[in-house]
Amino acid sequence: DLTRSPEEVFDILGKLGEGSYGSVYKALHKESGQVLAIKQVPVDTDLQEIIKEISIMQQCDSVYIVKYYGSYFKNTDLWIVMEYCGAGSVSDIMRLRNKTLTEEEIATILYDALKGLEYLHSRRKIHRDIKAGNILLNTEGHAKLADFGVAGQLTDTMAKRNTVIGTPYWMAPEVIQEIGYDCVADIWSLGITALEMAEGKPPYGDIHPMRAIFMIPTKPPPSFRNPDKWSPEFIDFVSKCLVKNPEQRVSAAELMQHEFIQNAKPREVLHKMINDAKEIQAAQNSIITNGDDSDGDDDVDHGSTMKKTDDSTMKSSSGTLNKSESGTVVVNSEASTLVESDLGTLVINEDSEDDSTMKRHDTGTEGKEKYRPAYLDHFEKKEQDKVAPPRAQPQLAPPMKHVTPPHHSQRSFIDGDFDFLRNLSYEELESRLSDLDPEMEREIDELRARYQAKRQPILDAIDAKKKRQNNF
Amino acid sequence: HLPRQIEYRATRQDGMLVPANPYLHTEIPKWLVVYSKGAREHDHKLKWDLFRLNEIEVFDAMLMRLHKQELEQIVMSYEGYRSALIREIERRKKENQVPSQSLALPQ
Ligand SMILES: Nc1ncnc2c1ncn2[C@@H]1O[C@H](COP(=O)(O)OP(=O)(O)OP(=O)(O)O)[C@@H](O)[C@H]1O
Ligand SMILES: [Mg+2]
Repeated sequence: DLTRSPEEVFDILGKLGEGSYGSVYKALHKESGQVLAIKQVPVDTDLQEIIKEISIMQQCDSVYIVKYYGSYFKNTDLWIVMEYCGAGSVSDIMRLRNKTLTEEEIATILYDALKGLEYLHSRRKIHRDIKAGNILLNTEGHAKLADFGVAGQLTDTMAKRNTVIGTPYWMAPEVIQEIGYDCVADIWSLGITALEMAEGKPPYGDIHPMRAIFMIPTKPPPSFRNPDKWSPEFIDFVSKCLVKNPEQRVSAAELMQHEFIQNAKPREVLHKMINDAKEIQAAQNSIITNGDDSDGDDDVDHGSTMKKTDDSTMKSSSGTLNKSESGTVVVNSEASTLVESDLGTLVINEDSEDDSTMKRHDTGTEGKEKYRPAYLDHFEKKEQDKVAPPRAQPQLAPPMKHVTPPHHSQRSFIDGDFDFLRNLSYEELESRLSDLDPEMEREIDELRARYQAKRQPILDAIDAKKKRQNNF
Repeated sequence: HLPRQIEYRATRQDGMLVPANPYLHTEIPKWLVVYSKGAREHDHKLKWDLFRLNEIEVFDAMLMRLHKQELEQIVMSYEGYRSALIREIERRKKENQVPSQSLALPQ
């Protein structure tokens, strides 16, 4: 099969969604008739992140983890072939039904999620991006952990690879503080995810992410907005996850024994929710098929007969794929190397379980990665979001306001003397309060631009040094 | 205002999968702070390639730390301003006995 191009092997059936790295499609494996999901990632995005995702995914073999089948590296796209989860992510389902989950549904999903974490953590893998959007459901109601784009594993090189990536709202305090972290960072994120499923968004989800980043480590652990609505067992479960000191936080294995999880009902309790979501999806898609295009959500589909979306996505993908027949490189579980052919510098051996999965031959510092703090990843992700085509905005996601023209005149507050507020009109006070976040965002953007400019000559010098080292 | 951050000092750093930022507590040289705030037109005078590779990488990590520090200053100053605004608005509401449900304040 290695010599065949992916479009000979698969039929693309329709688009499932879009993420920070690329788009995900539903596909048919022609030979076996099996339905699969294929993530197509343009490789001008961070190739190394993607390689990481692949090498970690293919080492996992658990019903609680989305299965990875292999990858095709083709022209400008990397195709990652994985298990298809027909009901989409938990956040997809919330968005479609415009409804949060019941305690019963949450318990059943958390049971599987904890099984997945138990599996990963027993192998010393940290998932690092646990959230409702990365828990996928198949049509039978099995929940599976997805998205290892940011997962990590202990190896010798890992000691240097203290890269932090994640979505701020779900990030554990120790991750934000950069003081080192462990598998229990995922347990914090799972507690946040539990609140997200119960309330539709994570704590601080409606405040600016940069404020959230500094609040999470300083404020007491978040809890339910409305504790009366929930059982003491559920509240206790969440409070055990959301212990700020990681050394006092429980493990996934211990949480499996928690009453709330022990009493979780079988996956049948998810069927109604899944079918509801499917029906809504189908209804939305039939509107699209009938030519009423006005629904902004039309690029997500989980059904099977969406004419319009199929056509348009097929066109765009074949557009890039037909450019050249050559240069198809296959990565899969045994057969073993992926070569970035244009440079010939990056070789990944997939056949071993250990740290040799990643070797950069163009650097003098073997496998060493620069330290990158969490907040920078957030910035860069945001930067990408601006360039990328707009993705379907979940209604439950934190609302991001955009943005009034700046008043440049508010700097006086820096010194902490707020007496001048007494002289402002009430309307002025209110308008200043509502302009606060957009103005803060603008300042944060300026700051980022300044540091980007200041870092550039340094990064250039690093690159030049590495190239020179490589030539000797 | 937000309380200061509490750090849980790593008593078992060696067992950690992801170690702490190694430059979290290193002293940042004055000249680098000056560079980070200085006007761009002078930047070319610094010849980074005269340093060794690992030195430059440390400077880069330090710049990122400075970035985070300044970010925190910005966020915290807005935090103070925000609570002063809310306090003043509350005070006016009491003063004028504006019924509180007629005002939807953003957080
Ligand atoms: N294996 C799969 N089976 C079914 N649907 C999937 C699968 N993988 C992804 N999807 C759908 O595609 C969407 C995009 O997935 P992707 O992992 O690219 O991004 P994301 O999870 O939304 O964001 P991020 O990149 O930050 O993780 C998901 O939200 C989900 O709806
Ligand atoms: Mg995802």
